[in-house]
Amino acid sequence: MSHHDHPPFFSSWRKAYVFAVVLFAVEVALLYAFTLRFS
Amino acid sequence: MNRLDYLVLFATIIAIPLYGLWRTYNHPNLREYLKGDRTIRWGTIGLSVLATQAGPITFLSMPGQAYESGIGFIQNYFGQPFALIVVCAVFVPIYQRLKVFTAYEYLGQRFDKKTRILGGFLFLIQRGIAGGITIYAPAIILSALLGWDLNLTIWLAGGFVIFYTVVGGTKIVSITQRYQFLVIFVGMALAFAIAVYRLPANLSFTDALHIAGRMGKLQAVDFSIDPSKRYTFWSGILGGFFLSLSYFGADQSQVQRYLAGNSLRASRIGLLFNALVKVPMQFLILLLGAMVFLFYQFEKPPIFFNQPSYQRAVETGYGPKLNELQTQFDDVFARKRQLLQTAPTDPAIQQLDSRARAIRDETKKVLEEAGANPKSKDSDYVFITFVLQHLPHGIVGLLVAVIFCATMSATSAVLNALGSTTAVDFYRVFRPGESDHHYVIATRWLTLGWGLVTIAVASFCRLVENLIEAGNILGSVFYGSILGLFLVAFFLRNVRGSAVFFGAVLAQAMVLALFFTTNIGYLWYNLIGCGAVLLFAWILQSTLFRNPAAA
Repeated sequence: MSHHDHPPFFSSWRKAYVFAVVLFAVEVALLYAFTLRFS
Repeated sequence: MNRLDYLVLFATIIAIPLYGLWRTYNHPNLREYLKGDRTIRWGTIGLSVLATQAGPITFLSMPGQAYESGIGFIQNYFGQPFALIVVCAVFVPIYQRLKVFTAYEYLGQRFDKKTRILGGFLFLIQRGIAGGITIYAPAIILSALLGWDLNLTIWLAGGFVIFYTVVGGTKIVSITQRYQFLVIFVGMALAFAIAVYRLPANLSFTDALHIAGRMGKLQAVDFSIDPSKRYTFWSGILGGFFLSLSYFGADQSQVQRYLAGNSLRASRIGLLFNALVKVPMQFLILLLGAMVFLFYQFEKPPIFFNQPSYQRAVETGYGPKLNELQTQFDDVFARKRQLLQTAPTDPAIQQLDSRARAIRDETKKVLEEAGANPKSKDSDYVFITFVLQHLPHGIVGLLVAVIFCATMSATSAVLNALGSTTAVDFYRVFRPGESDHHYVIATRWLTLGWGLVTIAVASFCRLVENLIEAGNILGSVFYGSILGLFLVAFFLRNVRGSAVFFGAVLAQAMVLALFFTTNIGYLWYNLIGCGAVLLFAWILQSTLFRNPAAA
């Protein structure tokens, strides 16, 4: 398999991946807020 | 369970596979049988991936886990979104472009036949045993509580799923999983609503959460770097990442789900859907456990949820000792409930809760002494006890159907993958050149064979730890090496077949040695196994196999 067979990590899907990470960060932030509020 | 419950149960678990058989009845070629007919969209892929991961253990054990230890287990899933992004960006495009049927077929193309067979072999061992646990775990609990025969329950959960998976292949797995997951979602939502509704009328939902929080059940995120803590943000991100990367990137039961997509885009969106919904879904399941915990602060719980084990101990002469503990438990419960109703912020509540927990631990010791030690943790019986004793008829049947649907959806994906891997990576390699129809028939027979193996494993297996962890431990011991094979393939371009093969064999031997001789937390085996394959393969390629002719 040549070097060119590897897809570029940041392709046209870059925005989708960044969006997923941001949403996950929001989920964790909400969980942390939940922890602080109720613990 | 009454007649209505049985009607709901059997109607649900039979209707979905029948519909799947109706939708998929044809004479598929090998590609259709292994990958579906390429009409499957991202929504079905997303649910199929979700349903494959969320087996019966998720719905039986996880609420009990929250009941016992709180919702901190959620952090184990924090590495998953990152792993899924890597799978979308690196693994899926390669699998799709090379048009492979199995993940291990790619190893054959990148390295050689023996590495492909090694990858497939490690997967088959791990998944064959895990498939048996997937069937056994709910069967042992349901048979104990409902008085059903264990082997009959195993066959009920496993027999039907073997039949429809053998007949319909990948497409029927995807279709049935969609509707099975719908049943699971509705059932769990109803259980959650009823648990909240059954709390005392003068207790608001927010007040209830405050009580659960004060009793240590709602710490979802813990940034502590204390290595003795089992679930923290950091262990979840790092350990969870490698476990998830192995599972979604190199486990054929998942690879086969997203390769069934009608396009690369569909596969990727289906996986990203999982990256976003997994943590909220697990949170709600764990929160359901916290609600059940609250419910049992006002409604007296059994001192030991696994009542059949408890009764066995009573019958073997330990009745007086257990009655004494029961009296103490009743007293502690009454005082705790009184305080919760009159002074919910009183610190004495925590002390009484600790005392109740200590009494339960003493009870467990008495059961062990009596030889009535159950095969799984008592927390695994918490949720189903709540369902059977406190939910209305009809919904009880639906919730038992949820357990069966989860068993069937996870098992069908596993059998489909085991049959495919054996057919493509072993049978077709050693017997090439046969017709497409021949390979479809062979795959069906092999799927049937694996179905019988998982039933056999389920009939003989004895669990040593919590049901969730038994599966995760088994996965972690093998997944690291499997993932290492793929990471070497993707990122160490100069490494050839022999170096990676012997590197993986050495790494797997090392992980097994560590597993049997040390107490390392199981999530770390993913990282150790994977890192060891990368390191050993690189060293072997740079030394013993330096000469290309030797590789």
